[in-house]
Amino acid sequence: MAAMLKPPGNFSVTPHKVSVCIVLQIYAPPAQITLPFPFPFSSIAQHNRLGMFLLALTKSCDDIFEPKLDELITQLREIGGELDHWLSDHLTCRLSSLSSPDDLFNFFSDLRGILAGPDSGVVVDDQIILDSNSNLGVFLRRCILAFNLLSFEGVCHLLTNIGTYCKEALSSCPTYELPHLDDSSNEVEALLVYENMDLENFVFDKVTEETEARKMASEKVSFHIHAPKALFGLIEDIEVSAELKFKHREKTGEASSFAHHMKDTLRGIDPNGGIFLRTNWQIQGYLCEQADAIEKHSCSFPLNAFESILRQLQKLAPELHRVHFLRYLNNLYHNDYPASLENLHCYFDYSAGAEGFDFVQPTSSASNSFGRYEIALLCLGMMHFHFGHPKQALEVLTEAVRVSQQQSNDTCLAYTLAAICNLLSAIGISSTTEILGSSYGPVTSIGTSLSIQQQLFVLLRRSLKRADGLKLKRLVASNRLAMAKFGLTHVQRPLLSFGPKASMKLKTCPVNVCKELRLSSHLISEFSTESSIMITDGVFSTAWLKNLQKPMGSLVLSLENASGANSNAFHFCAQPNSIPGSVLQLLGSSYLLRATAWEIYGSAPLARINALVYATCFSNASSSADVALAYTKLIQHLAVFKGHREAFAALKLVEEKFCSISKSRILLLKLQLLHERALHLGHLKLAQQVCDELGVLASSVTGVDMELKTEASLRHARTLLAANQFGQAAAVAHSLFCMCYKFNLQVENATVLLLLAEIHKKSGNAVLGLPYALASLSFCQSFNLDLLKASATLTLAELWLSLGSNHAERASILVQGALPMILGHGGLELRSRAYIAEAKCYLSNPSFSVFENSEVVLDPLRQATEELEILEYHELAAEAFYLIAMVFDKLGQLEEREEAAASFMKHVKALENPQNEQDPLFNIH
Amino acid sequence: MSSKDSCRNELRFAIRQLSDRCLYSAAKWAAEQLVGIEQDPAKFTPSHTRFQRGSSSIRRRFRTNEIASTPTAGVSYVSTPVLEEDEAVDGDFYLLAKSYFDCREYRRTAHVLRDQTGKKAVFLRCYALYLAGEKRKEEEMIELEGPLGKSDAVNHELVSLERELSTLRKNGTVDPFGLYLYGLVLKEKGSENLARTVLVESVNSYPWNWNAWTELQSLCTTIDILNSLNLNNHWMKDFFLASVYQELRMHNESLGKYEYLQGTFSFSNYIQAQIAKAQYSLREFEQVEIIFDELLRNDPYRVEDMDMYSNVLYAKECFSALSYLAHRVFLTDKYRPESCCIIGNYYSLKGQHEKSVVYFRRALKLNKNYLSAWTLMGHEYVEMKNTPAAVDAYRRAVDINPCDYRAWYGLGQAYEMMFMPYYALHYFRKSVFLQPNDSRLWIAMAQCYETDQLQMLEDAIKCYKRAANCNDTEAIALHQLAKLSKELKRSEEAAFYYKKDLERMEAEEREGPNMVEALLFLATYYKSQKRFEEAEIYCTRLLDYTGPEKETAKSLLRGMRKAQSGFPSMDIEHLPP
Repeated sequence: MAAMLKPPGNFSVTPHKVSVCIVLQIYAPPAQITLPFPFPFSSIAQHNRLGMFLLALTKSCDDIFEPKLDELITQLREIGGELDHWLSDHLTCRLSSLSSPDDLFNFFSDLRGILAGPDSGVVVDDQIILDSNSNLGVFLRRCILAFNLLSFEGVCHLLTNIGTYCKEALSSCPTYELPHLDDSSNEVEALLVYENMDLENFVFDKVTEETEARKMASEKVSFHIHAPKALFGLIEDIEVSAELKFKHREKTGEASSFAHHMKDTLRGIDPNGGIFLRTNWQIQGYLCEQADAIEKHSCSFPLNAFESILRQLQKLAPELHRVHFLRYLNNLYHNDYPASLENLHCYFDYSAGAEGFDFVQPTSSASNSFGRYEIALLCLGMMHFHFGHPKQALEVLTEAVRVSQQQSNDTCLAYTLAAICNLLSAIGISSTTEILGSSYGPVTSIGTSLSIQQQLFVLLRRSLKRADGLKLKRLVASNRLAMAKFGLTHVQRPLLSFGPKASMKLKTCPVNVCKELRLSSHLISEFSTESSIMITDGVFSTAWLKNLQKPMGSLVLSLENASGANSNAFHFCAQPNSIPGSVLQLLGSSYLLRATAWEIYGSAPLARINALVYATCFSNASSSADVALAYTKLIQHLAVFKGHREAFAALKLVEEKFCSISKSRILLLKLQLLHERALHLGHLKLAQQVCDELGVLASSVTGVDMELKTEASLRHARTLLAANQFGQAAAVAHSLFCMCYKFNLQVENATVLLLLAEIHKKSGNAVLGLPYALASLSFCQSFNLDLLKASATLTLAELWLSLGSNHAERASILVQGALPMILGHGGLELRSRAYIAEAKCYLSNPSFSVFENSEVVLDPLRQATEELEILEYHELAAEAFYLIAMVFDKLGQLEEREEAAASFMKHVKALENPQNEQDPLFNIH
Repeated sequence: MSSKDSCRNELRFAIRQLSDRCLYSAAKWAAEQLVGIEQDPAKFTPSHTRFQRGSSSIRRRFRTNEIASTPTAGVSYVSTPVLEEDEAVDGDFYLLAKSYFDCREYRRTAHVLRDQTGKKAVFLRCYALYLAGEKRKEEEMIELEGPLGKSDAVNHELVSLERELSTLRKNGTVDPFGLYLYGLVLKEKGSENLARTVLVESVNSYPWNWNAWTELQSLCTTIDILNSLNLNNHWMKDFFLASVYQELRMHNESLGKYEYLQGTFSFSNYIQAQIAKAQYSLREFEQVEIIFDELLRNDPYRVEDMDMYSNVLYAKECFSALSYLAHRVFLTDKYRPESCCIIGNYYSLKGQHEKSVVYFRRALKLNKNYLSAWTLMGHEYVEMKNTPAAVDAYRRAVDINPCDYRAWYGLGQAYEMMFMPYYALHYFRKSVFLQPNDSRLWIAMAQCYETDQLQMLEDAIKCYKRAANCNDTEAIALHQLAKLSKELKRSEEAAFYYKKDLERMEAEEREGPNMVEALLFLATYYKSQKRFEEAEIYCTRLLDYTGPEKETAKSLLRGMRKAQSGFPSMDIEHLPP
């Protein structure tokens, strides 16, 4: 209720500000009054450094509370150089000399002398004048104004506060809180409070439960149980308090460290502590930074530590509603649905979506305007999306569209449309009617005859146009990315089904994708119009101060420590950068999308390069999930091209960097690698287990986590295939195909069709396999999946081969055609398969004679065996060795034959008795 | 129940002790109950009973069953020995301190008693210090109000008080009053568990201190906490339980307790007011009005709880009664939040919403956590179409007490007004969760589902069904259910609901378009089901109405006759006469 508030003077004089003013007086001594001290600076650099320090003090947003005197003194010593003691002594001296209200009045009227008056034409030489419009000048003026507005009571309060402020600094020794601790019942109470506040009991219980459950579920397969790093963090939190308790019982002199701890966490509770919030601007900056950090680190962000800060902040500033929003974010990224729902509603009820920087709405405007509740709808929609409730999300976003149209809030509308696009492209929607009610305005207005994909395309285009019109650069860039994503996997069809039919080639259009990607990265040169200098300013100051504080252990640093050993991987505040984080993030995602695009189109080197660029240049600015994705891509590349050993080694490194909470990319990658390897080695049971693990990760809601679901059932089918259960494999693959078709996952369709062809090939039913291979081929063609196409061609060739020797010629032509692509971009497995197929083509060709040209066959086979040894792919390797042995047998080179035969035996045996092998890689954990 | 005489004696003694310790409000409460005990008419002259005149009529009216006079078997009250005073005669210093206290000079009180060691003196010193701290806190709250709202003003005496009292408790040299104060301090400091234990100790050894019970009640936020309390079975416990039940929204249990208590304290205004409160929560406005009428006759200068009376008068749209009440409380004490609220209600009823907001605001200035004022102010803002302000006011009410279903409902309404029905659903859900037996809430939620934007008719039907099950006085739910079923082409269900609705309208003797609609549907329905007899009955009833329906009914009748007579009639026509 804005009307119930006192008129907001959002700047109040506090002891800390008084000390800053004192230092400011040293920095720019007034000319008229002769000060009791000489001009103390020995060099200009030193002087400037003090200026920088003051500037940073007024701007930094690393904490919500103003620093205490002892902290300030330590900082002053850091920057003071030779005059360290002089500075701090002077400060304490001045502060303690303020003993009556009159002293304060005099002090503030003296301060006016620092400022250059409006008529400061006459400037005495080498006098330092503070421009009244400079940052420090404004700060000083605000201080003076705020002091002049104080009532007498206010001045008295200030005086008392300065007293405690100084006293604390003087007694900032271990004994600070000792009197408190004498009292045992008191102490129990305090502990209780502490426990209530900080123990992550609840979370911890849940986690242990989960771990227990998992342990029970898979007694043997414990390799994937990561007690994720974040959990260690939690446990550490708890240990801290346990340790405290212990210390208490001991009642030794160690109480001092406890006091220190308590001071950090309970500062707000201590009634006499003299806690003062920083300026509104700084707090908002702090909250912004924290919001970024939450989004960046998601689950690894310390939930309860931050929560307690927020609680303090709310207690001290109940009208600062943004706290609720931060709380919402915090809960959202820790997947607490009820709490985040509650806080989101709370925030928008209070703020009406109209709370901003230093902006306190005047009483009247609040009562006239409607408020910006459409933003609430937008946020709620995105929250539902985050939690995987597509239906609710769509309902809410539809409402958001309607309300923003009503309120003619175009910006919100543009964002909402973008959010809907995101939603539609991220979740699988089988049919429009199922999910879109009749109320679905933006889509139904186009006409219900269109497929959901076409509707999405139209929406995307509209949203892009709207964002462009409104000059929302960031939104344009992200819309372009969405467009590129869409173009990657969708064939454009004409929207209208009447009129002269232009001959339309039904193909995806890589050129368009590249164009959108390129256009989206124009953001880097355009963002300046939108960015606010305020944020970057604050970030810069914070970073500057932090470098100063590094050895000291500020609140932020202790936060880092609390989150566990992995925290050193993250730099909470990277080097100050003039490009805002959001821009960097968008740019980064364009590179990530590039990598994905090339992956799909089948250019391994380009995909790798883009992922590398992302991982090196943008990992600071982007969310940990995205960075994990980039690493995933790199490791997958390693696995395909360098074999599993290297991939696992890399995985181990990456795992240390990221905490792998369930469902994370890293966990997924690990399961994929394990599955792949188990298949190669013939550990079918293990493969099946891993496969089941994978399936469990996906949400049970239809249309959510489609990627995971397809992955899981694809791997299931492959496992069945490896176990020679062709019927079941075919059934699984078939139902997978149906699902992909239903949800329009065309790229996956091509893969599934290829798998079906493989199944039929292996089951010896080559004629049945042919149509599948051909269908896959045509899918690959229309979606420009070049590498997959090559692989399909290879399969087709193999199918022809198995139909008999009279088809060898045809197969040979096919293989030769696919070879350039395969050798250029294919992984180890694909390449060796191609080699073997090539050799087989020769061997089964009746016109080919081994005696004349044995090297033509032996050379590719040898290549194949080398690569398969790296992969440890027993089945194929055995086949290759078998062929080699046969060739040598024909040639009559018995020694070589025996050697090849021995290798063959080795691989067959390994395949038959997979358990014998004690594989270190399986027991990484 | 212990005899009336023993209650009387205990209370008389307690009042003296309480006011001796300056616990005035507790003494006031005890005195009210003392006078509330029915006098033995044989012993007293009429002048004594004059005060109790009139109350009996309420008793006659509302004594539904005589539980009150028959004590429940097996309940035996412990007799708590009255507290022995440690010094028979107050010291001179104590007398001085007490007179300072009476003049509200708390710090001087504490100073005078600084070296006294008697339990009574120690208590008064601590209590005075506590109050001094509270007073200073209030002042500071205004002085220090920061740019972003309230400052962290705290009672600076709490720490030292806690230390002193906890040592006293450990040494065993603390009396029940000291324990009460200790509990108060602990509660303020946020250590609720210990506070609860201490307060239980206090009321078990000295049950007549109603202040202690109230503090304990504010710490009993769930029924589990209540059940875990280890309380002696004194008759004061019944007062406590009744009050806690009310707070926990167990209105019927609370009502039972109060009616039982009325057996002894049959003239207690307090109990009457509490009964009125419970009845109000059960939405029995008629009874509430009667009770308050009586109350005001006996106690014309009462301001407590009168805001509830004004709510009832508001709901019943009694303009003059409300204005009379407002005038009365205004003359009694205009700076009470209740008075402001009553005046606000009056203006609201008159449609002068701006003025009413002014008074609600004044009420909130007097007590920032005055829940109903926030909610009522929200209503006013809704009337003034200032939805953001309304949302803000409601949200504040909800933050003060998350169980206030009216405020949740108001939030939902506000968002529905802004054409955000889906968003509003969240709030309606909250309110029906808290008050699942209120048909109005269910209807509001159903209407939300029914809006053009959402059209989630299935969910709407579910809500209407719930509404119909919980005594929907305005009979909206049945009609809507029938209508929706008709819209969804579920004629069987529609017929069922129309029939029920019809029966209800008949029972309540209401007429109107709904009646016609029901009759018409039923007639057509039964006709299509070939149950012509029933159809004919409805058609004939329709003939009593004017308008197009009459004609429709006629044609229906004609069609039916034709169909009924069918071929035979044809034959008859063809036959020569």
